[in-house]
Amino acid sequence: MIQTLIFLSAPITACVLLAGMLSYFGNHILTRGIIFIDISLAQIAALGTMLGLLLGYTEGSSSVEIISLLFTIVVITLFALTKREKQTIPQEAIIGIIYALGLGLAMLLAEKIPGGSNYITKTISGNILWVTWKQVLSSLLIFIPISVIHMIFQKQFIAISESKRKLPFSISHVRKFEMLFYMTFSIVVVRAVMIGGIFFVFVLLIAPTAIATLFHSAWRLRFIWSWSIGLAGTIVGIYLSYQFNISNGPAIVCLLGGLVYLMTFVKMAPHRQSVK
Amino acid sequence: MNSAIEFMIAPFFATMLLIGINVYFGIHVIKREIIFIDIALAQLAALGATVASVFFEHAHNHGHEGTTLEEYIFSVAFTILAAYIFTLFKSRKLPIPLEALIGIGYAIAATGSVILLDTAAGGEVHVKEMVEGAILWVSWGKIIELAIVFGLIGLLHFIYRRKFLALTDDYSKTQPIKHAMLWDFLFYASFGIAVVHSVSVGGILTIFAFLILPASISALFMKSWQSRIFLGWGLGTIVTVCGLYLSWNLDVPSAPTIILVLGVCLLLSLIVKKVLPSSAS
Repeated sequence: MIQTLIFLSAPITACVLLAGMLSYFGNHILTRGIIFIDISLAQIAALGTMLGLLLGYTEGSSSVEIISLLFTIVVITLFALTKREKQTIPQEAIIGIIYALGLGLAMLLAEKIPGGSNYITKTISGNILWVTWKQVLSSLLIFIPISVIHMIFQKQFIAISESKRKLPFSISHVRKFEMLFYMTFSIVVVRAVMIGGIFFVFVLLIAPTAIATLFHSAWRLRFIWSWSIGLAGTIVGIYLSYQFNISNGPAIVCLLGGLVYLMTFVKMAPHRQSVK
Repeated sequence: MNSAIEFMIAPFFATMLLIGINVYFGIHVIKREIIFIDIALAQLAALGATVASVFFEHAHNHGHEGTTLEEYIFSVAFTILAAYIFTLFKSRKLPIPLEALIGIGYAIAATGSVILLDTAAGGEVHVKEMVEGAILWVSWGKIIELAIVFGLIGLLHFIYRRKFLALTDDYSKTQPIKHAMLWDFLFYASFGIAVVHSVSVGGILTIFAFLILPASISALFMKSWQSRIFLGWGLGTIVTVCGLYLSWNLDVPSAPTIILVLGVCLLLSLIVKKVLPSSAS
């Protein structure tokens, strides 16, 4: 029992950090309606990782992470610049295109790396149980300055996220904040994907905040709720995967995702009565 | 060279069929801003097939062509169920975007397949195939099947084009036309069946690219439905020929190559659009 707890202490600490960071960003992403961004970012980051491997660095080394990060930041900067006052192609579609191209390239690269197709699968499922204390601490060091930046500029970030049709500031001003927002976001996503895999990150971003948003609209409440839901979901998911001997990433994804559907139906049931 | 043409003729026809139906649906999807829906439905169909192949062990010989009847039925059943659920979600004013629920459906389907395949032997090969598809190995029987299914769906959408177009053009309203929910369901269901058949040949990623990329490019230059569809088809044809040719010559997988050529086209058209802003109409 104690051994299990020691074994699980690093993954659980990682879950606390990741649930916090991702559910904060998730609130922004959901409000903006660009659900795809994280999956496509994660795919770009995975592509960057494959690029690093192709250059001869070993998996999990810091050189690979830096290459992956730089690659992601370049792509996301381009994306931030596609923000227009009037959108011809929805931003969501641009994100989808980035995803398709990223995955397509990853597939071509997989042929060049020994066991490359195996690597695509690994990126999909991920495994939070293998996280080390070193990774947890370095994540903490990365997340603190990002949180500070977001606390300083929280008003601007929220204003941009909430603007649907009209921009709150001039377009050049908006773009500056957009770049800052997406850069910090991609740093967090790259980190998180290395630890948990693409779908783990995706679901931790969207699912808890979706549940919170169903019942609350204030940012602070949504953040607190989504953090708690995300944390509870990951821990229960890890426990279930342990019990039933299945991969923990998929277990967490299905658990949290299923919960969203359940809560949506719960929300819809009384809603119908109150309208009619 | 002759052998190349002979080898490529079936994949070419298959790709043309795929582009024909997916470009049309792509314009719908872009207008509705539910970019995810196709990938989600495709992944759900794949989950259905996986469930069937785990339930019915004898279905385990597939690799080239072998979608068994059980797999097919499960795929279609899963997508139609999803179509119904999405229609239901759409019909109410929920505080979260439909796209979020679609995305979560996708994540569940994708990882659900991983959980199921973990227990089945050779799971990784399946995952790769599900994503990548195998257009090059398509048979004529399959092509005829695609032509029939897409023909029927196309006919349905052609006959009731006014309903479907109106529904998509006013997608943000809850009840734009009479019996909106029924038409919405028909839209998702027919789309779902098209996706099941498309994916069985082309793989999830390729179909996603066929949906989004040509439709985005045509949205840059054209406004009306008709011109968007024809531009998308023309572009799709040219790109397919180039992509198949490149993949044959460079000996790389065909699907990612076609996708990347489409991506290059999008980049070029973005540049053209930037240089000639007056050409937009």
